[in-house]
Amino acid sequence: MFVRSLAAGIVAVVLSAAVLIARSDAQDSRDLVESKESLYNNIYVYRQGPYYSMTFGYNRTIYTESIYNSLDDRDLPVEYTRYMTASLMYAKTISSILEIGFGGGRTAWYLHRFLPQVPVTSVELDPAIVELSHKYFGIKDEPNFQVVNRDGRIFLSNSKDHYDIILIDAYRGPFVPFHLLTKEFYQIVKDHLADGGVVAQNIEPSTMLFDSAAKTIHAVFPQVDFYVAEGNVVTIAYDGPPRSKDDLDRAARERDSAYNLRYSLHDMLAQRRQIQIEGGTVIDPKATVLTDDFAPVEALKAIEAHNRKWQ
Amino acid sequence: MAVTPATRLLTVSILFNAFIVGGVLMGFEMLGSRYLFPYFGGGIDTWASLISTVLCALAIGYFVGGVLVGRYPSPRIIAVAILLAAIYLALVPATADGVMSQILNSMGDGPSAILLASAALLLIPLSLLGTFSPVAVRLLTRSAEESGGVAGLVYGISTIGNVAGTLITTFMLIPTIGSRSITYLYAVALAVCAGILFLPIGKKSS
Repeated sequence: MFVRSLAAGIVAVVLSAAVLIARSDAQDSRDLVESKESLYNNIYVYRQGPYYSMTFGYNRTIYTESIYNSLDDRDLPVEYTRYMTASLMYAKTISSILEIGFGGGRTAWYLHRFLPQVPVTSVELDPAIVELSHKYFGIKDEPNFQVVNRDGRIFLSNSKDHYDIILIDAYRGPFVPFHLLTKEFYQIVKDHLADGGVVAQNIEPSTMLFDSAAKTIHAVFPQVDFYVAEGNVVTIAYDGPPRSKDDLDRAARERDSAYNLRYSLHDMLAQRRQIQIEGGTVIDPKATVLTDDFAPVEALKAIEAHNRKWQ
Repeated sequence: MAVTPATRLLTVSILFNAFIVGGVLMGFEMLGSRYLFPYFGGGIDTWASLISTVLCALAIGYFVGGVLVGRYPSPRIIAVAILLAAIYLALVPATADGVMSQILNSMGDGPSAILLASAALLLIPLSLLGTFSPVAVRLLTRSAEESGGVAGLVYGISTIGNVAGTLITTFMLIPTIGSRSITYLYAVALAVCAGILFLPIGKKSS
């Protein structure tokens, strides 16, 4: 009797689990458009209505790299990518832009569409990503828009060019290439900035890696501003004295109207946070600067930073 | 032939060495990635270069070790090889950046440059360490019947050392002390191993 009811119980559990799995599958209304195994990634392109997304694995929450609205190529559906453009109000002049980590190319393409006179160069390690971005993410070969197939650090080390804005967004899902997060790397970045240039970087804030990354950027750039987006933080780093709110506000209004930007710099400026990096409350005082010699990115990423307070 | 305390001591010290040398060997391969990534990127091409260089070094070490021990069947051969590897490793932290940037500047970052950089970093010390196993097997083998058992023991312990070196380096050392310090630590560990083998133990007592 007991055995029979146990068997019935097991059958019931298995059946309800199957129903749950089937239902969660049904909720996932994305259609897989193409998958591709490249030298560096397993890339999946999904479509959901007009939106195309690129992921590097089956886990949507940790692997989504880029989202594109095929009805509107100036839309930036992912919030942090809008804050990457906050760099536009900081740069002294805007005559060249470099991006490290192209992905679906949304940020670079947005900048290209609103600043068509400014050469935008993006460096992407994986040729398959560049190919898929042309196929599904509305990227076209146009004058003043260039995608270079290379490791970002190698590209910069070999480059003699200087840029007014350098955007860094070279994460690959949960994988962080350590050589793009060290003091030596940021020094190379700084050496390739034009006078009055700025660096915008996307960092995921939920782990101790954020604290070390912030300290590392600060070790090379005296000024670091923070913009908190859903699930990401964008840092804007620059040399020289701190920029006043009025000064930035003037630049934001001027450039909002000059370029007719969809995502207003003036609105973004209201979200600017200047936190104390050394001896403050947001950044863990135990965090260390990352160097080529010591950059335990995997270990730091395994330590969750609970209750980060942004006040 | 009786197993004397002296030969037992030699056996223990050689097997201890097999473990440590195996650990340093794979640990240094993992560490190689930290030296190469900043210059040549962290892609599968860099890993392929590292792994093939390590295996080449082992092949060279096996051939050379096998020939040498036929002529000079003494623990001193491996003691000298391990000591030379220790000296090479001790020189790596101070010189690696200069060599890597020299290769990057003169050859770029293509496959031949990455292979050359891997070879510069790993080929010589790991070839020296690769001589260990055939020499150890020869020194511990006293009869044809036990040769299989001795080879199995030496390779088994050395491979467990490989596993330990890989995991300890990746999960404990890289997150705590940094690549250059780990390299010095390996050099010291190898120097200690060489020192043990230089001790006058296991002298032919029969």
